[in-house]
Amino acid sequence: MNHVYFRRILAAQRLRLAIVMLALAAWGSLMPVIWSEFGRQFEQLMDSGLVPDQFRQMTQFGGGDITRLAGMIAIGFIHPIAVILLAVFTVGFTVASVAGERQRGTLEVLLARPISRRTLYGTLFLASLVFVGLAILALLSGTLVGAALWNLLDELQTPNLPALWLNGVLLHLAFASIALGASVTFDRLTPALAVTLAVLLMSYFFQVLGSLWPDADFLQPYSLFHYLQPQKILEGKLDPFHLVLLSTVIVAGVIYALIVFPRRDLAAPT
Amino acid sequence: MTAIETKGLTKHYGRRMVGRVRALEDVSIEVREGEIFGFLGPNGAGKSTMIRCLLGFLHPTSGGGQVLDHDIARDSLEIRRRVGYLPGGIALYDSMTGQELLEYLGRLYGRESSRRRELCDRLEMGTNALRRPIRDYSRGMRQKMGIIQALQHDPELAILDEPSEGLDPLMQQAFYSVLDDLKKEGRTIFFSSHILPEVERVCDRVAIIREGRLVALEEIHALITRRRRHVELRYAGRPPLLDGVAGVSDIRLTDGILTCLLQGDVGPFLQALGPATITDLTIRPASLEDAFLEYYGPDGVHGGVEPPPPSRDSATPPGLAGAPALQSAPPAESASPAESAPPAEVTAARSGPDERP
Repeated sequence: MNHVYFRRILAAQRLRLAIVMLALAAWGSLMPVIWSEFGRQFEQLMDSGLVPDQFRQMTQFGGGDITRLAGMIAIGFIHPIAVILLAVFTVGFTVASVAGERQRGTLEVLLARPISRRTLYGTLFLASLVFVGLAILALLSGTLVGAALWNLLDELQTPNLPALWLNGVLLHLAFASIALGASVTFDRLTPALAVTLAVLLMSYFFQVLGSLWPDADFLQPYSLFHYLQPQKILEGKLDPFHLVLLSTVIVAGVIYALIVFPRRDLAAPT
Repeated sequence: MTAIETKGLTKHYGRRMVGRVRALEDVSIEVREGEIFGFLGPNGAGKSTMIRCLLGFLHPTSGGGQVLDHDIARDSLEIRRRVGYLPGGIALYDSMTGQELLEYLGRLYGRESSRRRELCDRLEMGTNALRRPIRDYSRGMRQKMGIIQALQHDPELAILDEPSEGLDPLMQQAFYSVLDDLKKEGRTIFFSSHILPEVERVCDRVAIIREGRLVALEEIHALITRRRRHVELRYAGRPPLLDGVAGVSDIRLTDGILTCLLQGDVGPFLQALGPATITDLTIRPASLEDAFLEYYGPDGVHGGVEPPPPSRDSATPPGLAGAPALQSAPPAESASPAESAPPAEVTAARSGPDERP
């Protein structure tokens, strides 16, 4: 890692990071509130028999469950708002970090200094880890604050929160790792962004479709989101395989980038 | 001592199936420590590709080289630690101020930016200018920032890709004076450009590259003095008889004015003028531009006309380690400039890997 470059990244991203963290904290704080206000009513409605079973499936969006606090928090994790806010770093920052600098021509100014490409990549990866870690921390902190304000802390198994943080970080770091891999592969921003978004959107589509439509649930294991299990973790049913699988994706992305990036020709920017 | 040495450096882009671009072909040069070395060629000739190979941005297809005794393929990091680099058409971080950028880029070297203040003063980048965001800078100011960031840490070797692009004439002079001082202090400067008067003004030696191939490498002075000078004379009565005079070519007569090209020793030419009545005589000195155009112009070597004859220097040019074209020219030919040697590029091509029998 290069400390000067790392500090420069943090300085350049600090405002964006602050905004994303605030937004995620606010979003996270809403989950206990929504569950407290609507979750039990939804549960009663479902149990009344007035609503068809197919509708019950809709309450389990993305593998969550609107009728339970842990399930509501899980929905908060996989909801498009959270995914988009996290994508500011897992996609936006990562893709622009190499391919964007290549396209703008600033990468060669940076690489004219005595920094190896592997060090550059390592610094970017570490910065991504910090951003994702802080963002997920903000989301969980918001959830805790929301639960505290609505006196739901007793129902939230707080000792399981670190495992949930780890699961969330591994999932989004996996996307960041894929994005960094795409970023070091292409000379231009557009193809790197296209590849990363394709992976992210396909993964999201598989998970959400599988959660809403039982006939399509075979798609879910092909989605990285499937290995984010907030509800199970909060209920004390952590499956280590999920963490191992996400870690494997991260490591594969890192190895790919560390092999490809130093071997690439960096032609003059056009 | 050599600061830069390449041997058979070759870089091809693309894939065989799609069509390969031969950006560099068998380029061998030596840049001596302490000299200002000009690397000349039009856009797309391969200048930037050469520089990018030297700095490890591009991996050579074949051949190799050394910069400050470090291998360009293996020790790129160590090379970049000791080199200052100005990319052509430099891009900067627009959101930073000039001061922030220089401090940031200087810190990445991990050593003091000992020349920054001096360079800022000489290139007129005052405190007020440095406090402004780079997005507000003009092109010339950006170029000055590029020069300062490349030289602020006092590198042993500066590699500058078209450094005076965008500078006004006053700043160009200030920049040349910086280069002169660096040279006096023993620094080496590798300088790519297509601005010929600039190269003529600052460089000790020059290499000319055409379509990725090295076609000349010589002392600037030798390169120029071997060029044909343009002669224009007005005469009264009968025109002087210049046919067959050594060094005289391309004789044209129009309304009492004779123009011709003169190469080498001026003595036979002046002797031939003896009996004629000359009312005016102008001999325009050769410039680097003339030399360059001989390699590139429509009437030049590569237009299939007359090749530039090798000079005594060019029979064994000191820096042309692997350019057999000029090295292999026999001394007998070089002693007689009027006789034509094989065209530099043609012989260079013969030595290339694809043209070998």
